[in-house]
Amino acid sequence: MFGYYLHLAWQRCRHHWASSCLVALTLAIGIAACMTTLTLVDTFAGAPIPGVSNHLYVTTLTPTTDTAPDSQLAWPLALAILHARRADTQAALAQTRPRVSDADGRHGTVTSGLLASGRILATLGIALRFGRAWTQRELDAHAPVALIDTHLAERLFGADDVVGRSITLNKRRFRVIGVTVPWQPRMRFSDVEQAVPGPLGRPVRIILPIGAALAAGVGPLSAGACGNGGPADTAFGTVKLHGCAWLELWTRLDTPAARAGYVRFLRHFAQARQHHGYFAKPMHAALYGTRAWMDLNAMTPDGVALNALLAGAFLLLCMSQVVGLVTARFLDGRAHAAIRRALGATRGQILAQHLVESTLLGAGGGLVALPLTLLGLWIVRAQPVGYAAAAQCHWDMFVLLLIVALAAGALVGAWPAWRVGRQPPARCIKQG
Amino acid sequence: MQRIIKPLLRHPAMPMLLVVQVALACAIAGNAWFMLQQKMAPLMAHVGVGQPQRLLVVTGLRARGTPWPAATLRGLETQLRQLPDVETVSNAATLPMAGQAQMLAYAYRPGRHAFVNTSVYVGDNLVKTLGLHLVAGRDFSAAEKATTLNAGMGYHRAGPVIITRALARRLFPDGPALGHAITFTGSQSQRTVVGIVAHLMRNDLTGDHRHNLDISMLFPGTPARWPAPHFAVRAKHAVDARLIQSVRRLVTQQLGPRLLAGTWPKVERFAVLRARALAPARAATWLFAAVTLIVLIVTGTGIAGMTSYQVRQRTRQIGVQRALGAPRRAVVRALQCENLLLMGLGIGVGAVLAFASNAWLIEHYAFSRLPLSLLPVGTAVLIAIGQLAVLVPARKAAGIAPVSALRAI
Repeated sequence: MFGYYLHLAWQRCRHHWASSCLVALTLAIGIAACMTTLTLVDTFAGAPIPGVSNHLYVTTLTPTTDTAPDSQLAWPLALAILHARRADTQAALAQTRPRVSDADGRHGTVTSGLLASGRILATLGIALRFGRAWTQRELDAHAPVALIDTHLAERLFGADDVVGRSITLNKRRFRVIGVTVPWQPRMRFSDVEQAVPGPLGRPVRIILPIGAALAAGVGPLSAGACGNGGPADTAFGTVKLHGCAWLELWTRLDTPAARAGYVRFLRHFAQARQHHGYFAKPMHAALYGTRAWMDLNAMTPDGVALNALLAGAFLLLCMSQVVGLVTARFLDGRAHAAIRRALGATRGQILAQHLVESTLLGAGGGLVALPLTLLGLWIVRAQPVGYAAAAQCHWDMFVLLLIVALAAGALVGAWPAWRVGRQPPARCIKQG
Repeated sequence: MQRIIKPLLRHPAMPMLLVVQVALACAIAGNAWFMLQQKMAPLMAHVGVGQPQRLLVVTGLRARGTPWPAATLRGLETQLRQLPDVETVSNAATLPMAGQAQMLAYAYRPGRHAFVNTSVYVGDNLVKTLGLHLVAGRDFSAAEKATTLNAGMGYHRAGPVIITRALARRLFPDGPALGHAITFTGSQSQRTVVGIVAHLMRNDLTGDHRHNLDISMLFPGTPARWPAPHFAVRAKHAVDARLIQSVRRLVTQQLGPRLLAGTWPKVERFAVLRARALAPARAATWLFAAVTLIVLIVTGTGIAGMTSYQVRQRTRQIGVQRALGAPRRAVVRALQCENLLLMGLGIGVGAVLAFASNAWLIEHYAFSRLPLSLLPVGTAVLIAIGQLAVLVPARKAAGIAPVSALRAI
């Protein structure tokens, strides 16, 4: 039966080819606008580090008088929390942009990376390809060791297994102890307060232990808030960080119990510190999950959600127009339906036949929407906005597109098909 | 009227659909058009810079570690000024159209608490170098320009200030601003207005600043603890490639050793800077213009499609009317009136929908209130589209021969 309905629908689409094209095109424009904006929403709604960031929490210590939680910690403070060892997997980190060259100072390049302390690889879920992570002894001794990714290894040495070789930063030698796979969070989730433009994550090509890096004169990208917090207190790439809050502490906590325990520890820690006069004001300690932290700091550009809303409303408009077109088309052909009714077809069968037809039109719309979506994504990529690079097509989005197209087709056809099914056959035949 | 409404009520489904369509289109196009207006504002506003073809700007300077001392910046300024073809040079913390670094202050009159979000440009010699048009008062004196500003950047320091005419009107709506004092939230001191410039655009262009684009002010002095200084160079003639090269050479020579790794000075014509700063606004303007246009086209074709269906349905009735002596004009007018009625209803619902969705957007996103002026413009545009869309099917209806009424029975 379904095959026969499909055949009928195809015949009628060919017969009313102009109206079919108009319906398909109108639906396609609406669907394409929706899919383009949904692709961006999907990018920003997902986890910044799939599989890892759901268990990652950032520590904030904020004066109780302030409303916005502050994740920037001074180095001694972060070190004290790390040394308390209340969580297995945690790390203090800050962005850096050093100039790196090989042992002889050749092939120099400026690259983005992290200054870190603690178990940085396990915390962020960065996989090692060769070598090993640093040890606590190396961290405590400020040993000049470095982790680089295969991309940087290729760039500097033309090979990827470069464990044991040396790189030069600021004229100091650092020994490569591990080579990681190229790693880049999908979105920026740390350092939300710093002056790094754009909502997308940057690749981490090099990871340096904080102590050794500072000793070698390699500082964080931004010194954050120092001292009295005047507007000119920001300094770039400096190692004079006394009194500056420039590090973030990220902790991996897998269970709610572990999280509650860690929060308790933080509160006690803050109270003890205040008791010893480390803080001038009473401090409030809190943990934020990755997603909560990003939402709190409005890391998803407003434009993304707004455009999706606009596109959704536009699809609704297109669909309401198509309802009109399909109704006109079905009612124009009601004489045929009436003859089929007179020959014994039930109302349900008439309804099913028309639904198949409108779903076929929806499928046609989906087919046209495919290139239009690619065009839309291309247009977004050409826009001078920070999230332009996120406009990449994913194949799972095309499955969604197909579902949306078929659903839209069935939806716009439902009411007209029901109306045609209800037409009294006798009068229709007479009028037709 | 009765003759138009009655048949609509008899078969209300299709007219209702048209009303829904128009309402949706009204809500979408209204909000899109409003966003278009917001994004377009900076493109249309006065920058305030006189003879921009003679202006060269140095951006992208980022000090590694401690910022450059004032002496270094002043030395570079002197060297730049000695280049042939250079008229004046200014060292500034921020410049118009250089949005990477921004300085803001909430300015108010002492004793009153109406704050105005104001862009601050700190630098020496900015009035001359940017070619600003002084409409009242004076430029900063040589002694004022020679001030060295530390971490406070002049917020906490008494002294002179030059403000734009728009800011003067905002702060002193009932009298002259010249010679009066203004202050800023968080500041303990006051600054005296010594001059008023015609225009000077602010340099933070994100968000809705339609009414604040021209709200800015100037502090004199050299910012000494600022890690991202800028230079503006005004040439005697239009900027040429030779001048760009010699400026770049001097800047790299003087500041190069202390630049943050991976950054380099950008020496560009002001027009290039302006084009880059306004590129997002321009792109968004095109995007929203396209959205508005597509929405209107889709609505137009929808109305045309539905009206022609209605005409097909009523062939017999129209034929009877024609047979009974109704002129063609009357048939067209009836359809036009019907369309006007439905459009009016749709626009009414749509306006409510537009303002309701706007209220929701204000609550959830950084969105501004729809201006009421949108209503008459939007109504006129939509009604015009409706009338145009109904024209073709109406003419077709007028062409129905009276005899067709007899034939169909």
